[in-house]
Amino acid sequence: MAACAVLPDELQRAGERLRRLTRVLTTRAPIAQSPRELVWALNKARLYRYAPVLPPEQRHPVPLILIFAIMNRPSILDLRPGNSFIEFMVNRGYDIFLLDWGCPGLEDKNLGFDDYVLDYMTRAIRKMKSVSGCSEFSMMGWCIGAILATAYAALRPGDGLRNLMLLTAPLDYSNRQGITFSHWTDERYFDVDKVLAAFGNMPAEMIEYGAKALKPVENYIGNYMRLWDNIDDPRVVESWHAMNTWVTDNIPMAGRAFRQLVVDLYRNNRLMEGTWNLRGETVDVSRIRANLLMVIAGADHITPPCQAETLSDRVSSVDKETYRVAGGHIGIMAGSGAAKRTWPHIDGWLGPRSNK
Amino acid sequence: MTEAQQEKPFDPIEAWRGVRDASMDVWAKAMIEAVNSEAYARGSGTMLDVWLTGSAPFREMMEKTMVQALHQLSMPTRQDFLGLAERLTNIEMRLDDLDAKLDAFLQAAQRPATSGKESQ
Repeated sequence: MAACAVLPDELQRAGERLRRLTRVLTTRAPIAQSPRELVWALNKARLYRYAPVLPPEQRHPVPLILIFAIMNRPSILDLRPGNSFIEFMVNRGYDIFLLDWGCPGLEDKNLGFDDYVLDYMTRAIRKMKSVSGCSEFSMMGWCIGAILATAYAALRPGDGLRNLMLLTAPLDYSNRQGITFSHWTDERYFDVDKVLAAFGNMPAEMIEYGAKALKPVENYIGNYMRLWDNIDDPRVVESWHAMNTWVTDNIPMAGRAFRQLVVDLYRNNRLMEGTWNLRGETVDVSRIRANLLMVIAGADHITPPCQAETLSDRVSSVDKETYRVAGGHIGIMAGSGAAKRTWPHIDGWLGPRSNK
Repeated sequence: MTEAQQEKPFDPIEAWRGVRDASMDVWAKAMIEAVNSEAYARGSGTMLDVWLTGSAPFREMMEKTMVQALHQLSMPTRQDFLGLAERLTNIEMRLDDLDAKLDAFLQAAQRPATSGKESQ
């Protein structure tokens, strides 16, 4: 009799779990919720300014522009209320601008790093200076965004860049054995021109597969098992839902930029060799003079630490620091430890350097 | 041993979970090594190449047929739209430069007026 009474409860609980599982696997979580205004647009790119929450006298006068990768949505920087880097920084009085590259269409297949740096970033930064009324600024680049930020800092060192922060920056490709993507994009095995001739841009699905295949068991199985194991914990489920919404929302990468990434960087390491040429200008990292903070993730499979460690020795910056943090490529900024370690460190470094 | 530990009943699900997690760890490490090998790079590259080579004639045929059909119907093709989009971006850039110049002009015009008021 007792077993009969327990059974409906168990069935009800199993039904509830199944409903929760179906919801998080088939719907999109509300992410990127922080209030912001559009201040500039060019083609698909958008520059947003986040609404301040502190009175003017408590804010840092030097604005901060965030540059994220060109093949992912920047919403990871503002994942959800209570777990958002942007919200954290706005609450600490920073004037935050976010450059969102948007989703390139076939008409953008000829966009390259030169266009992103010299046309888009230059104009977005000009607008940021105009609306903020400040001639100096800080810049944070993450992942491929760190390549763009480095190129900008090297090509336009006198443009008012005061502080440069590079997170999990894939800059040095000399250690081919230590970089899985270097194996995969080796010219003996991967015909980049054939892929681009077929698709124009590098398809989002292939980029997503590439990122997930670096850790196939964790990404294709372990991730879902972790969800099922914690299906009764709403905190874990909502966090998983938000992260999954971002992870599954990839965008294609402009064809020419992808070709430059593979040929110029992965295969020939032109940035660190000092032979990377963007529209006739050589990207010479020794011209970087801005205060520099390198953030390196110890367990990064996408950008192994060896790719980010060498820049500090090449730049002319006097004020430079390397911060190593435990975690993966995304986890250091959006994982459970980000709010305890990475964000406070960034704030602690940037705060004193963002005053007049 | 504490009393609580002594009284804790054997949970087969928990034990199974432990075995599962341990075997997953081993499997995960083996797979990371596998995808990091030359053999994987060669294999995945070959598969991609075969697929791209095999599908190329069909893609080209589809594209030619579509272009011909659109021409017959006097409708713009994808290339026409792509060209138009590029031109629009160029126009946007010009407008953006004009906007920046206007901003600079207005700021310069406001500056003497403000400093003039301050001196009075």
